[in-house]
Amino acid sequence: MTVKKIHFLAILLLSIAVVSCQHDPSTDDLHEDYLVYTAYDTDTDFGGFADYFLPDSILLIGNSDKSEYWKDDEARKIVARVAENLDRAGYNRVEDKDTADIGLQLSYVKQVTYYAGYDRPYWWWYYPYYWSPGYWGDWQGWYYPYSVYYGYTAGSLLIEMLNLERESPTETRLPVVWDSFMGGLLTSSDRVNLSRLLTAVDQAFTQSPYLQRKQSR
Amino acid sequence: MNISKHIKTLLLAATALLGVRTASAQLFPNSYINIDWQVNVPLGCDFASKTSGWGMNFEGGYFLTPNFTLGPFIAFHTNLESFPRQTIDLGGGTSLTTTQEHSVYQLPFGVSGRYNWCKKSVFQPYVGMKMGANYAEVSSYYYVIQQYDDTWGFYLSPELGATIYPDPSYRLGIHFALYYSFATNSGDVLNYSVNNLNNFGIRLGIAF
Repeated sequence: MTVKKIHFLAILLLSIAVVSCQHDPSTDDLHEDYLVYTAYDTDTDFGGFADYFLPDSILLIGNSDKSEYWKDDEARKIVARVAENLDRAGYNRVEDKDTADIGLQLSYVKQVTYYAGYDRPYWWWYYPYYWSPGYWGDWQGWYYPYSVYYGYTAGSLLIEMLNLERESPTETRLPVVWDSFMGGLLTSSDRVNLSRLLTAVDQAFTQSPYLQRKQSR
Repeated sequence: MNISKHIKTLLLAATALLGVRTASAQLFPNSYINIDWQVNVPLGCDFASKTSGWGMNFEGGYFLTPNFTLGPFIAFHTNLESFPRQTIDLGGGTSLTTTQEHSVYQLPFGVSGRYNWCKKSVFQPYVGMKMGANYAEVSSYYYVIQQYDDTWGFYLSPELGATIYPDPSYRLGIHFALYYSFATNSGDVLNYSVNNLNNFGIRLGIAF
């Protein structure tokens, strides 16, 4: 090898070093897969619940100036899949939310532009048309009895389970006792991948085996 | 990362210096400088165990005696590993199902000592030992998130290598080496733990 070639090699090596340093992995594959996160209140006895109320529509969180609900065939399939999983766990769907032990609310993050600047894991609570505590009865707020972390991306479905059984007459805040965050549900065409979404809903229940009603003898 | 920026600044300066000094091979008398590309093989690490060539080593040394050199070094390397979708129990009632990419980025720096033989021949072997600090960023990439732990540890690395100078009077040559490294870094990401970093690797580069 001539000295000239070694000089060339030296400059090449230095050039590579300047542009490389820390090498980040390709995340292309990660964006083509869904994510399911679930969390629950470990002090709640999910086996003691019997009846649940599940609205027929999904709240859309976006930048609209009024409440938007997703009610088409796709939405109905998603709601039906949630109901199937709850039925399989032994719970009974009721039509009257006043008689239900638990309530479920589904929200789809269509666009986060409106609240992108808020550094809160539960920013959607501040969305003006988010599910209102009053929807579920005489409640004045929400709370999680456990730590919760969420992402902030469009194309995410949130399922929250609320304990509607008031522990004391003076209790005013509604506890979220189980929640699930499903992300990565948009395809490259910005449309919801329904198949992926239904699989993610199933996964949310699969990884939550404690959601099982105790059968009375 | 600020450290990366500083390294890039140093490298840009070194590139400029090299461009200016092409007519004279030895930049500093009675010394050497190595710039190497390296292949790193993580040993006993199931967090990011894939062999990779995403790294480099820079070092220099001064001949304190006719055979012994001492000088600074800095290196960096990234090893990766893909993890297919799996459900992870994060404790406290939380679970996560996701696909992941794991990364361990190491940046050791400190002092390098070498004992050299055959200083006036074409083939000049040596044994060496590097000692210093090791910064390591242990990361899991999933969804749109990078979750990481910055760690620091003590670094020790024995090395066996040689420099080939086609013309020993003109100190510009090819350098190659085999190394083992041990660092005491420990970190946790999600439900994974990394305790101590062991590596084996090969370096190939230039010496002047």
